[in-house]
Amino acid sequence: MAEKRKILLIDDDRDFLMATKLILEKNGYEVLTAENGKAGVDAIRSASPDLAIVDMMMETWGEGFSVISEVRAMEGGKDLPLIILSGVDLQGPYQSFEPSEQFPRVDLILHKPVKADDLIKHVKALLG
Amino acid sequence: MPMSYESQEDLVLIIDDEETIRDGCRQVLEKSGYDVITTGDGSEGIRIAREQKPNLVFVDLNLPGMSGLEVIDILLADIPHIVLVVITGYASIVSAVESMKRGAYDYLPKPFTPDQLRAVTKRGLDHHALIIEAERLRAAQEEMARDFITFVSHEMRSPLMTVQQSLESLRVVAGDCLSDEANQIIERCEKRIRNLEDLVEHWLNIRQIEEGTLIRDKGILNIADILLHSMEDMAPLCEKRGIVLKSDIPEDLPAITGDRESLVRVFVNIIGNATKYTPAGGTISIRARHDDYHVHVAISDTGRGIPKDKIPFIFEPFYRVKERGEHIEGSGLGLTFCKRIMDAHAGKIEVSSEEGRGTTFNLRFPR
Repeated sequence: MAEKRKILLIDDDRDFLMATKLILEKNGYEVLTAENGKAGVDAIRSASPDLAIVDMMMETWGEGFSVISEVRAMEGGKDLPLIILSGVDLQGPYQSFEPSEQFPRVDLILHKPVKADDLIKHVKALLG
Repeated sequence: MPMSYESQEDLVLIIDDEETIRDGCRQVLEKSGYDVITTGDGSEGIRIAREQKPNLVFVDLNLPGMSGLEVIDILLADIPHIVLVVITGYASIVSAVESMKRGAYDYLPKPFTPDQLRAVTKRGLDHHALIIEAERLRAAQEEMARDFITFVSHEMRSPLMTVQQSLESLRVVAGDCLSDEANQIIERCEKRIRNLEDLVEHWLNIRQIEEGTLIRDKGILNIADILLHSMEDMAPLCEKRGIVLKSDIPEDLPAITGDRESLVRVFVNIIGNATKYTPAGGTISIRARHDDYHVHVAISDTGRGIPKDKIPFIFEPFYRVKERGEHIEGSGLGLTFCKRIMDAHAGKIEVSSEEGRGTTFNLRFPR
């Protein structure tokens, strides 16, 4: 069997992280986790995952965005598939967030909670 | 007690037709450090008060032309927090009482001494400072309440999302090991969590409407589009419950101004409501029409209807029309939400219902 594809989850809610991790692992992926933006960026550097799923609103508003900006700016980070998993679809400045010129590119925005089937479908599509 | 009220000089307006009184008052009060404006004319006094917003106004009850009582009524209605003292020419206790009834704070009978004038002025201005302080506290308290609600809603949503995600992962991890019964338990949990989520969301939305942050940009809208979109959203649920969803929406409806997203939610809410109270085999129909001034939308169901005595309450928060022991899904804030959204669109929402026959929600939008 081919080597497992590696997915990095970045989210400051440990329980949410665990739930998502289990869904991905059950579907045959290797899962790394990071509980804040900085640890996430470090993990992308050191473990070179095949895909990263980033919570948009961690400790501070927009921490997810700084992760994405940093990743896109780092060597080899330009093409890393990135999914935003957002809990803030209700209100605030990100309500109508769509990747645009001002924002670094993300591949997909999903909303919490995410159905396992949806998540896997999108991950599969992004990992080819 | 001296009030710490330094934000502006205390401005006193004196409206009295006797020149000697005006000049005397001005001298006494200016010496005490107040800014003073005087006039002998009621309507001129109102004009000055509107422009300069004095903290305290002395009004002679016995003015030529416009009566002192009229001046009092207009000033109190026009200028928030203004404090009025009436000057009564003939020491008439009756007219003093009448003005106090209308909202004057104090009275000063002629003739009066400089000391009396100073004492009444000080009392009046202290009272004004107190009103301003109370107003400031009230505003601060309101802001705290608002922040608190926003905070609580966010703090509640986060664990709800985590519980939902955990239930989802439980299904995945357990795979085929879960019995039908176990699956049903999970489903029940999910349903109740969704209800709670709706509640939090509606609650937050209502706050946002009150703050004016939910509906920020209104656009020109095609209401037929919005209705069809809402029906598409609700079609699967209606089908699942065995309810026919039909519509009669003319193509030439005029445009309205509004917020598309929140109007979709209004219609989805009302249709969703209808599905809860309409038995299988029933019909929900959506009709639209217009006249010279309005666009009308009527959403009718063939459900069990709302008892007459309950109709006045259905837009109240957390009011539910239910029978004893029955559990009706939903946040209890859905119709409150709809009503507030309609208010924000200068629209109207009304309900008519006949028990056992069905309910119709009539919505009206200005063209």
